[in-house]
Amino acid sequence: MKLLKKLALGLSLFALITSAAKADDTVKVGVLHSLSGTMAISETSLRDILLFTFDEINAAGGVLGKKIEPVVVDGASDWPTFAEKAEQLLAQDKVAVTFGCWTSVSRKFVLPIYEKYDGLLFYPVQYEGEEMSPNIFYTAEAVNQQAIPAVDYLLKEGYEKFYLIGTDYVYPQTTNLVLFEYLQSKGIPVENIGGGLRRDASGEVISAGKYTPFSHTDYQQIVAEIKAFAASGDACVINTINGDSNVPFFKEIAASGLTADDCPIVSYSLSEDEFRSLPTKDLVGHLGCWTYFMSLDTPANKKFVSNFQKWLKKDAPSYVQKEGRVTCSPMVLSYNGVYLWKAAVEKAGTFDPDEVIEALWSGVSFDGPGGTVKTQPNHHLTKNVYIGETLEDGQFEILESFNNVYGEPFLKGTFLTEDS
Amino acid sequence: MKKALFILAVFVSSAFGEVDNEATRDVLERLALAGKSEQTGVLAELAQLGDPFIKEFVDAWRVGEVFSYEISDTETIVLQRVSENYRRLSNDEVIEIPNTESDKVSKIRPSRSLRRELKKITDTIDLASPDVGTRMDAALKLGLSQRLEYMESLQSKFEAESNARAKAAFEEAINIIILANHQSPEELNQAVQRLGELKSLPGRDQISGIQTKAVEEGNSELASICSTALRQIDNRQRTIERWGNLVRGLSLGSVLLMVAFGLAITFGLMGIINMAHGEFIAIGGYTCYVMQNIFASSFGEQSAAYQWFFWVSLPICFLVAGGIGYGLEKGLFRFLYKRPLESLLATWGLSMVMQQLFRLKFGAANVQVNTPDILIGNFDFWGIALSYTRVFVVAFAGFVVVMTWLLLTKTNLGLYIRAVMQNRNMASSLGIPVSRVNSLTFAFGCGLAALAGAALSQIGNVGPSMGQTYIVDSFMVVVVGGVGNLLGAGISALGIGTVDQFLQPTFGPVMGKIIVFLMIILFLQWKPGGLFPTKSRSMDD
Repeated sequence: MKLLKKLALGLSLFALITSAAKADDTVKVGVLHSLSGTMAISETSLRDILLFTFDEINAAGGVLGKKIEPVVVDGASDWPTFAEKAEQLLAQDKVAVTFGCWTSVSRKFVLPIYEKYDGLLFYPVQYEGEEMSPNIFYTAEAVNQQAIPAVDYLLKEGYEKFYLIGTDYVYPQTTNLVLFEYLQSKGIPVENIGGGLRRDASGEVISAGKYTPFSHTDYQQIVAEIKAFAASGDACVINTINGDSNVPFFKEIAASGLTADDCPIVSYSLSEDEFRSLPTKDLVGHLGCWTYFMSLDTPANKKFVSNFQKWLKKDAPSYVQKEGRVTCSPMVLSYNGVYLWKAAVEKAGTFDPDEVIEALWSGVSFDGPGGTVKTQPNHHLTKNVYIGETLEDGQFEILESFNNVYGEPFLKGTFLTEDS
Repeated sequence: MKKALFILAVFVSSAFGEVDNEATRDVLERLALAGKSEQTGVLAELAQLGDPFIKEFVDAWRVGEVFSYEISDTETIVLQRVSENYRRLSNDEVIEIPNTESDKVSKIRPSRSLRRELKKITDTIDLASPDVGTRMDAALKLGLSQRLEYMESLQSKFEAESNARAKAAFEEAINIIILANHQSPEELNQAVQRLGELKSLPGRDQISGIQTKAVEEGNSELASICSTALRQIDNRQRTIERWGNLVRGLSLGSVLLMVAFGLAITFGLMGIINMAHGEFIAIGGYTCYVMQNIFASSFGEQSAAYQWFFWVSLPICFLVAGGIGYGLEKGLFRFLYKRPLESLLATWGLSMVMQQLFRLKFGAANVQVNTPDILIGNFDFWGIALSYTRVFVVAFAGFVVVMTWLLLTKTNLGLYIRAVMQNRNMASSLGIPVSRVNSLTFAFGCGLAALAGAALSQIGNVGPSMGQTYIVDSFMVVVVGGVGNLLGAGISALGIGTVDQFLQPTFGPVMGKIIVFLMIILFLQWKPGGLFPTKSRSMDD
């Protein structure tokens, strides 16, 4: 036991000495994603894009003359592990900033840690809103930058019935509640919102839509229900199913004979990266809504995509998967986050999180692959929103774009009060 | 096949040097090149033509097989790609595009709104389709648009129709149009009444809207007609739901049976708590994936031979997993026969090792196993849809159960297996090679698990953690059925599947599953041995 302690002490001393030697010309940056477990499929891509971004910035001279030194830790798709690793990054490695988290529940677990140590976290994945920590910057799509524009588009296309389905956790539940209010404020009667409602004792709706657990495989019953719901020909589905349950869901939809022309499905959690492991031919014609699509035809995006592919071929570490890689919105929002942080650091002239946050408040902007993004005092971003239709090759064709949408995290309860 | 016919047709017509539908082709060419503002006029022209070629072209257009080609500075033509050849739309000639000009060819796609308009036109063409189902779908879609302009063609098709089901669909469509375009209150009353008699599901929303309005306006006659019609429609809806639940329960039950059957042998008969059972299911899925890649690289994805990959994979899955199971029994499981706690931990560890091996070999992301063409599509039986893949799973589960039963009751090996499972020592003293029988039985159970994985590749995911999804369900089925009883496993799988499907509409999938678990706990309190407990006098196993 004593020996072990000595060994540990020796090791940490050694680590301290080596890091001290490097500390002059580098700045430590944390990467906190799941590299194993269920979420690894999605989050590994974010680690890859972050490593690419750091290399790109370092090659251009770094931040304030210092090279970025990434500290990559594995959240292992396990929420307490996320908290533990966040604490390690802040207390032990003393990182200047962290880029990380995918699921909302992992963010909720690390939030108190970042507030306790007064750190800074950039969160890149579309989420349900209703949160604004002083120590987190949400480069993610807020509900009004994804769910609401998509619904606006469907309303404009003449759809009158909306079926809500999602995985049973905080993001789909909250988003659907906001949408439930939004649809009503747009004159859609309650009986035209499918999936079922749950009310509490006072009669207030606490859950709207149909929910399945993670990794659910049997969608026969739900698809039969959707088919009956869509018999009137003017229905669409809003899908917040996360992860691999989308495969049996879309297979069942395809098998039921419902086509994208009869009843389009707009999915909020499926981007180009997820299409790599989905049967895209079953998804053709269905819709997606993000703040970036790989098919965006702009010089900035083309340069970004080709640089990423070049990096994969030449400079990427051996553990990064090289074949068949694509770019998607969460990846680009991670990329944007790093550059926004860099711009804020340069504006503040220091790595101190408090001063960097103040610089971010004042409005820092970056011309990213999906268009210009700008930080807001409410810790979200103003950015462009696009609606796309899935093609057979797993890309999106852009149908409509909304420019410079202001990120608004607190939406629940705002639509109906405006009305009444 | 359709495509082949089409190519043949094109070939024949081009052999004669000209096409017979020049007018249609001309209009289509203009439509493909038209700007948004000009489209409406061209569409109206197209609607007059009614040529079946329109449908073929629109389908090709939608899937990205149509291109524009700037032949000169002033002239742009439309090309359609048919099996790697570019054909000029206006006269169907094959056009060679020089490499230097490849940047002048670009894919064109119809916009969403244009596609919707085109759909109306192709639906009108479909009213004359030789296939009854296509006719019915087209009629209902036109009806639901509630536009008076389709009335005429629907009426004439309705009178000419000889098939009773299609005739009803035409009548339904006509009446739905009348709902929005009636001339007199009597006409509306009649249409509502008729839709009620036809038990029209698509018309339900319209009728309930009319009812609400009638109540507001105090039109009690119309309101009562509406409520009768709604009652008739809802009755039909309920019947469909009830039968649908039964069919879906059978299908879910078959999936449960497939995944649990291998476990019923290894856990049920042999008494090994095999936490790695799910990973043997995954071996089946991955074997199909590997076979698919082998077939694709040696025959090409378009060949007829490629379609056979799935059927060839089935016996190979069984052999691969059986082989691995045999090896593991010799190297690991035979040391665990009388040590259930160690076996729980060891097999759990094995399961993690196997998952990580899948990740290393095939990557963390799920892989895709294609569906052979013959299994694409679905039955639609009075509103209950069941895909061919699910029908296949039901039939395959039945086949596996029958084969297993035959093996256990009609062969020498089966006799040995039953003898060893009932009393190992006695069997051994009678000269049965106990250790070989153990290995073979375990290998057989693993082979069955892999067959389940192959079947599941058609309806779900194939990935490193696919086994985890099914392991709890598998144990549940075996325990409820009664450990050591294959018939019990079958009945419990089908029972759990059906109960789950009946609970889901009311309670939702999450609560539904919780209730199923609660029912199982209560059931096991009442019958701890499961449905068919093993009756044995031997105490040593």
